[in-house]
Amino acid sequence: MNLDLLRPEICMALTALAAVGADLLFKRKAIVTAVCLAGIAAATGLTFSIMGNAPQIIANRLFSLDDYAIFFKFLFLGLAFIVIVASVDYVNRMKDFHGEFHALLITATLGAMLTASATDIISILLSVELTAISFYALVGFLKNGKTAESSIKYVLLGAINSAVLLYGFSMLFGFTGSTVLSGMERATAAIPSGGAAGGAGLLFGLMLVIAGFGFKIAAVPFHMWAPDVYEGAPTPVTLYLSTASKIAGFAVLTRILVTPFMQPVALARNWGIILAGIAALTMTTGNLLAIPQVNIKRLLSYSSIAQSGYMLVAVAALGMSSSNFLQARSSLLYFILAFAFAELAVFTAIVVMSRNKPADLISDYAGLARRSPLLGVAMTLGLLSLMGLPPLAGFMGKFYVFTQAAQHGLLWLVIIAVVNSVVSAYYYLRIIKTIWTDEPASEEPVSSSLGPRFALAFACLGIAVLGVAPAIITRFSEFGSHMFMP
Amino acid sequence: MLQGYGYVALFLLVSLAFAGVMITLPVLLRKFKVIPYKPSAVKSSTVECGLETTGRSWVQFNPHYYFFALIAVALDVMLVFLLPWALVLAGLGVFALVAAAIFVAILSLGYIYAWRKGVLQWK
Repeated sequence: MNLDLLRPEICMALTALAAVGADLLFKRKAIVTAVCLAGIAAATGLTFSIMGNAPQIIANRLFSLDDYAIFFKFLFLGLAFIVIVASVDYVNRMKDFHGEFHALLITATLGAMLTASATDIISILLSVELTAISFYALVGFLKNGKTAESSIKYVLLGAINSAVLLYGFSMLFGFTGSTVLSGMERATAAIPSGGAAGGAGLLFGLMLVIAGFGFKIAAVPFHMWAPDVYEGAPTPVTLYLSTASKIAGFAVLTRILVTPFMQPVALARNWGIILAGIAALTMTTGNLLAIPQVNIKRLLSYSSIAQSGYMLVAVAALGMSSSNFLQARSSLLYFILAFAFAELAVFTAIVVMSRNKPADLISDYAGLARRSPLLGVAMTLGLLSLMGLPPLAGFMGKFYVFTQAAQHGLLWLVIIAVVNSVVSAYYYLRIIKTIWTDEPASEEPVSSSLGPRFALAFACLGIAVLGVAPAIITRFSEFGSHMFMP
Repeated sequence: MLQGYGYVALFLLVSLAFAGVMITLPVLLRKFKVIPYKPSAVKSSTVECGLETTGRSWVQFNPHYYFFALIAVALDVMLVFLLPWALVLAGLGVFALVAAAIFVAILSLGYIYAWRKGVLQWK
């Protein structure tokens, strides 16, 4: 029981409790924000302190401390920090729930961090649920009709999704006789490559698991909740939902599939092809449905569905690569980083804007670049990066992922993905045109405090660095591609 | 393997047959006039204990009730965990004591939170 290696997580749990306590003790709500930011900073420091101990198993194989987990821990901590900083103005809207908002944000982060390092289906399920339950509450925070609707939709569909996931897990356990991923790997290694029975049962279980996590990452056909929930949720929550929740889903899906189910090559090929099909569907549906949207949050939810499709291309490539999968995994991590920065830039701008324009219509952004150059530039950079324009982060991410997919025999999928990128340019460029050339309704500048401005500048810097000097970040994503599951 | 399932199937058949016999036997016996047939108001009323209900069962509860119920459930769960812990505490040592203390502390924070937020006031 080397629980001391879970120091960052324990620190985050204490931070959540401290946030609730500070909310009860102090009238000044800025103290709660300060407590949370200090807790996240401390957890980041503790993550640095355990880096030297990797790779190691924790708590009798419930968790694993490897480079992959550390990569995601840093990512989630950074995201939580930026989201709290970016929403300092917005949370005044929910005065009565200041403490709860921050405490739940921290527990969602805690769940995501545990998800990234969980190596047993029981600990995976518990950490995934910790994130999900925090989000159920966060989505319904504004208590008006729209958020209530989106919250109840999210809860009901999420509950069904958990049942499907659990059923899939029970199948995997039934056919391998182990709840630990490494035990599953030993069981699949023992299956003779021609054996049909075990492979078919495992594939059935894997399909259910893919359906379960497909809900988390909003892959078609499990995406129906995403536009409603993204639109109805408070914008900082949408920002965190579209990044942390989705990235946690990819982190754990990749860990479950690779390497435990790489073993009978036919099985790996099968789930690889299934994921490739889902990826093609997800990209196409997301991009086509984004075109007619007039609400910017709804449009971006479809765009984020399409981005899930590009990430699934990388996961599908993992399935098709029989042995050399480190590069493909590294490409996924790079894409995730690029995606996270772009979403941060775009959604932080929306968080700032939706203080005065709660309807979130695209037409509200007319002439934004003239009213607030920083918001305009950040949004433009974020959208161009999501589109995949060359000198920016999104281009390098797509380039890296598509190269890997093409190398592992998924050229048809790459062609679909490139066509989709072109389609997506239409609606991204339409927003950019609105921001730069349309006449604003009023010339008054959009006010924002230091926090959101810092978040915007940070996101822009990230987009630029990832695009212009990818070598620095590639080292980070290559570091993160190493898993340890003995 | 299949034999094991055979026992299950046997149980299923026996249980189905038992239920069928129990339902049809009184009907048949009455048909052949083995048992008398004298219905009365008391006999044909729904067999239930206690008084008959008055009014509709769609009563509206004060939603405040649920806060109390939730807190009670949380404390009940704490009790369920603490009872077995208390029984074997002597053999578990300091680690178990600290673990339970943390558990109680976290739940107490929730209780204090509900208290301070005014949930426990019946309005």
